[in-house]
Order: sequence, then C-alpha cells, then structure tokens
Amino acid sequence: MTAQVWGAKCTTCGATSYPRHGVCPQCRGERFEPAPIAGDGRVLSYTDVYALAIDYETRYLRLAIVELDDGTRAIGHLIDPAPSLGKRVSATIGVVREPGEERIYGLRFVPV
Amino acid sequence: MRTVGIVGAAMTKFGRSESSLIDLAVEASLGALHDAQLGEIPIDGVVVANMGAARLNRQTAVASALVDRLCLYPAAAETVENGPASGASAVKVAFQAIASGMADVVLVTGAERMRAVSNLEATDFVASLSHPEAEYIYGVTLPALAGLFARLYMDRYGVERKHLAMIAIKNHENAMKNPCAHIHQPITIEGILTAPEAVVNNPPIAAPLHLFDCCPVSDGAASLVIAAGEVADRLERPFVRIAGIGQATDTHAVHERLDPTDLAAVRRASERAFEAAGIAPSDVDVLELHDAFTILELAESEAAGFFPRGEAATAIERGETALTGRLPVNPSGGLKAKGHPVGATGVAQMVELSWQLRGEASERQVRDAEIGFACNFGGFGNNVVATVLRREDR
Repeated sequence: MTAQVWGAKCTTCGATSYPRHGVCPQCRGERFEPAPIAGDGRVLSYTDVYALAIDYETRYLRLAIVELDDGTRAIGHLIDPAPSLGKRVSATIGVVREPGEERIYGLRFVPV
Repeated sequence: MRTVGIVGAAMTKFGRSESSLIDLAVEASLGALHDAQLGEIPIDGVVVANMGAARLNRQTAVASALVDRLCLYPAAAETVENGPASGASAVKVAFQAIASGMADVVLVTGAERMRAVSNLEATDFVASLSHPEAEYIYGVTLPALAGLFARLYMDRYGVERKHLAMIAIKNHENAMKNPCAHIHQPITIEGILTAPEAVVNNPPIAAPLHLFDCCPVSDGAASLVIAAGEVADRLERPFVRIAGIGQATDTHAVHERLDPTDLAAVRRASERAFEAAGIAPSDVDVLELHDAFTILELAESEAAGFFPRGEAATAIERGETALTGRLPVNPSGGLKAKGHPVGATGVAQMVELSWQLRGEASERQVRDAEIGFACNFGGFGNNVVATVLRREDR
C-alpha cells in the first residue's frame, strides 16, 4: 500500500475529521471509516521555522496550514519557493521526518 | 466555598542555573514559607508544578522529593503536569483542597530545569505537547505554531512587526527593574527592527516572528503559600485572595479550530474567572499574560476581554500597557524577559501579582494595584487557566 495520511469519516453524519478523535466532533458518533487527506486546497498560513526540533539537519523548515477543497485542514511541509496566503496547493505524500533509521511519511504541499 | 488566598510568595532568579531542580524548588519554597511566617501552623499539602523532570532531569515524583527535602512529612504531596499551564493548575489544585475544607494550608511550588539539556533538546521537549500524529511528526515546534498564528493574526488585524517589537521593548524594560528576571538587556526599536544590523541582531525564528519575539529557555522556581481565610486571620501578613479561577480547553491540533486566530480557551477561561470573582475586565489594575511569544501578549489581552479584537496594537502604540499606562501588562518582564521555566511560569505570574497587590514591587510597582489577572497558556492555547487575585484587608 502506498503511504497515505488518513482522516476519519464518521459513518453516522459523514463529516471528516483530521486528526482522528475517539468521537465525531460534529455528532459524537463513534464509528468511522478512513478517508484520505488528499486533493487541492489553499494556504491558510505558513511559516519558516528556524527553531527546529531534533531529527532535522536543514537550516529551516517551511510549514503550512492548508484548507483542502473538501473543507478539511492539515499542517504539512510546504515545498514552494514563493509562498503566499491563499495560494493554491496540492497535497502529496513524502518523507517528513527521519528519526534514526526510521522514515515517517506525511503531507508535503506543492503549488498546483 | 471557603475564602482562599496567598499568604507567602517567593521565587528564585530565573535564568541558567547550576542548582539542581530540587535545589531550585527548595530555595523558592523556603522563601515563600519565610514570607508567610506560619509559626506553628502546619502545612497540610504540597503541590509541585513541573512539566519535564522525567525527560530533562531524569527524575519523577518531584513533589515527594520536595516534601522530603523540606521535612514536611506527613503532608500530602502531588505533582501536577499540565504542560506550560502546570503552574496555575497546581494553584487550582491547592485552591480546591482548601476551599473544600480538605486542607487549611498548601505550599505550591513550580519548578523547571530546562538548561540541563541543549536548546535543541529543550525545544523538542516542549514540542512534544503538540499533536503527535498531525503536528509533531512534521517538525512542528511551539515557535512554529506561534509563527503560523502570528502570520494569520497580523494579516487579519493589520498588526505590524513594530507592534510586536514594542511589546518586547516594554517587557525588557520592565525586567530591568526585576532582579529575578532572566534577561537584563535594554533593547531599542533601532537595534531589533530598523537599523541595518537588526537583521543580524534579530534573526527570524519562525517567520514573521524573530528572536526578540520569543521567550528564552530558563531554569527557575516560584512558590506560593496558600491558606484558608480563617488561617490568614491568625497571621499578621497581607492577604491576596484568589478571587476567581477559570479554566478551558480547545482542540489539540491548532488547524482544527474553526478560526485559528480565536483563542477560545483564553476567552472562556477568562470569562469564568471574572464571573467567579464577580468583576469585569475593566476592574483589573495589572495583568501578567503568557507572552511566550510577543504576539500572544497582544492576542491574549484581546481574548481575555481587555481590548476589543484587533485594537490591542493601538493600545500598545499609545503606551497603555506600559508600567505607567492605563493597564500595565507584564510588569515582571513577562515570559519574554523574566524567562519561562515552563512548570514554574504560572506560579511565578502569581508571585509577581502578589507582590504588586501588596505594594512590594519596588521600582516596577503599579500604582494603587488592587486587582490582578493572570493568564497561564498551556499547549498552544488548548488548555488555559485564568486567575483573578484581589488584595483584601482582613
């Protein structure tokens, strides 16, 4: 299976939440099916962070909050040399953190 | 509920310390106990606020260790870990114990020793409060969340970097008058913003936030002796009543908030604290806000109800929040310049307010301060404790 970031779609009301909760934030339903966090959206905010966590060797990371067209939102890496608020981006999946030998996959947003 | 208040207050100097975590906690605790002059009145409980001893200092059960060092057995003891809001949460635990009648006198000590590890490790430690699946794995740190928040807030409300610089300058100025502050360094708008060398002096940390928008990584401890009103009546000490405490939570992941610029937990916690105290924001004389980042001082002052949304920047320009202004904010220097040993911060805010309300804040004394307000901001606003303190002549 290809790497994917999953939200949780409530089987009662159909709302997708990301990250997942134990109950649906909309209707308090307790049953979910996985819903991929994917597609296009717009940059809600972004930052270049130089105060990095461990596991990174770059000088800074460019991070963004993106609102996807289906209304779900997510934080991810922003791979864009010219970011701006409201800019259209696409969600892709790639390596976002490498603790030791491990590779963690997550969202990497690129311009549409 | 019984009347509960502060009868003793003390803190260590914040900064880089050679003392161990427990030695810092002992120093602050003894200071507060000496201040309270309890005589033969026993301590019923000890509550320690600490966020990171397990990871930073390889120590757990810190409250039990502190009771032992102070020979306060058989006092009850517990450690409260509630992220950066641990301090005010610990005060709340003491308040509840005394208000309910379970205890008469409780020592609350917040302590953190963060410089035991590298800055990188300390940043990662604090980042571990972010959402593990949706934030932390991306390298999200607290500065990153503050940067994302600041960009949106500044764009929406026309806040400029100069406004944030004014907050930093004010808090550094106040800290110059606070011997316990971590940073004693006067700064100017030229030095951090407008002069050519500002680019070097004040590099970006999480754009649009720069170095002088961020609090330092500090060691330190702060203590309060909290007692029932009837115990305080037996002491010849000033009484600072804990008039109201409010607490509220919000979504863990910042992106999930309907409006990510709305600090809903600050708003709700503050409303509850004001309601419990039976006052309005306009009654407050002095504020200690959780300015881990300059933008938070501004946003919290609005969310708590002291300024309409989008208007705090103008108030800062007019000097309203300066020590001599209409509503002084962070006379201690705030987290920005007093420092931010995370578990100690919420307690230290109330130590400063106690001194202010008792008229013992020397050069940084706010004139005629009778009612104080503290906002202890946990997570990135997902767990907030607001407290109203009031000087009471008994």
